[in-house]
Amino acid sequence: MTTSLFFIQLINGLQYGLLLFLIASGLTLVFGVMGILNLAHGSMYMVGAYLAWYFFTHTDSFLLSAIISAVIALSIGILVERTLIRQLYHRNHLDQVLLTIGMIFVFNALQSLLWGNDPQGIKVPDLLSGSIPLTDTLSYPVYRIFVAVICILLAAALYYTINKTRLGMLIRAGESNREMVECLGINISRLYTIVFAIGVMLAAIAGVLSAPMVSIVPGMGEHVLIACFVVVVIGGMGSIKGAFVAALLVGIVDTFAAVLLPSIASMVVYILMALILLVKPKGLFSN
Amino acid sequence: MSTLLDVKSLHTLYGSSHILHGVSFSIQPGQAVSLMGRNGMGKTTTLKSILGLVTPRSGTVTFQGEEITQKETWRRMQLDIAYVPEGRGMFHNLTVKEHLQIAARANRKGEKHWDYERVLKTFPRLQERLNNLGTQLSGGEQQMLAIGRALVTNPELLILDEATEGLAPLIRKEIWEVIRTIKDSGISTLIVDKNIQVLKDLCDQHIVLVKGKVVFDGSSERLINELETVESYLAV
Repeated sequence: MTTSLFFIQLINGLQYGLLLFLIASGLTLVFGVMGILNLAHGSMYMVGAYLAWYFFTHTDSFLLSAIISAVIALSIGILVERTLIRQLYHRNHLDQVLLTIGMIFVFNALQSLLWGNDPQGIKVPDLLSGSIPLTDTLSYPVYRIFVAVICILLAAALYYTINKTRLGMLIRAGESNREMVECLGINISRLYTIVFAIGVMLAAIAGVLSAPMVSIVPGMGEHVLIACFVVVVIGGMGSIKGAFVAALLVGIVDTFAAVLLPSIASMVVYILMALILLVKPKGLFSN
Repeated sequence: MSTLLDVKSLHTLYGSSHILHGVSFSIQPGQAVSLMGRNGMGKTTTLKSILGLVTPRSGTVTFQGEEITQKETWRRMQLDIAYVPEGRGMFHNLTVKEHLQIAARANRKGEKHWDYERVLKTFPRLQERLNNLGTQLSGGEQQMLAIGRALVTNPELLILDEATEGLAPLIRKEIWEVIRTIKDSGISTLIVDKNIQVLKDLCDQHIVLVKGKVVFDGSSERLINELETVESYLAV
């Protein structure tokens, strides 16, 4: 592997890792704060990609379709939390798994009904369609760099929100002691709605950002869900910081495995997870 | 002035075990009331029923004339009730400063008698630990923070559950002094504790629970007259 190829794979890995973080952050946040294991989280990634495709083909503006998709995702998040997820707070993980698997089926059926099962795709927006030449023969697409930058900005915003704002303090307090938060006169149900909706929106934004890079197909949510679970488990269930480190690790390892060890590439991240759990059974940054 | 808190014939069950058997008592504005009893007699369950952390099977809780038996916990607390739970209820991932910041608010009348600065003035030890996490504090400091966090909500009624439990005698004394200051400032208090010697001087009214029933409800004067009987209720 030449230096420039190595460099390209490294950026690819980081960019994939950042996208994974965007999805996994919502999964781990909802688990950490609300104690809910949301298996339908990957579906929101799929929904994001389909919404981006649908609105892009109708408006011809990527920015506009991204904004509409994010707003719709936020609304779906609020609706789903208020109607379905809320039923789970006093139930065990089995009930959570049953309901959220059921939600995967519903989202898949809706996708099939609304948009059909043919693979879809959208082109990279004109403004971001160029490439940056690295050497005489190799170049790197601007859009991928754009995605990485957006992911970094969103991760920074999430970090700031959780560590520096009142909402973030409440989220952390809720994670630590739900009953005590209520005993301070704080409406924890509303806090849960906000957390869930933000998580759903981040997953959908990851879907929107991916839409020009992948083929938009049924089942894309399940594939990403499994990768996200690996990230959340490696990082430590509920830890945002852990999810960030683990997502980059998984992104880079997965990308390099595909190039260097193609025959076992699909196994490598699981081997990584097993090794990390051997040393740190609760993940890298468990509480 | 009308009754601040009125608890009427509370029956509370955990699953099939019947904990409270018709508990009734009331607190007048400005009063300090003690709630005593051996472990497992229903003190904490009484507090949790008042706060809505458990739902009584029957009976009513009325605060400032408004029935709150079915209200969600956070809505009750918004009526200016504050709670210092047994075990202190620290947030392990919030700093001392953040504990006070998330709790601080004006009361329903818009008054802010207690704020961040006043809490730090009352508990200078917290000042040095502002950026420490709640669980990095000593037991005494945690208790001070738990009380401070309750005070910055500017309550009419402060409920304290075992506020001096597991503390060194000197710290214990400090906590009692603060509770006395709180009482003198006009905040009504409901205090669960085992220290009858302190409580008889500090509180105006005393309630003793045995097996989920009120067996004593009277003034300090009556408590002193019937000290032997009451002590027998509390003896292990």
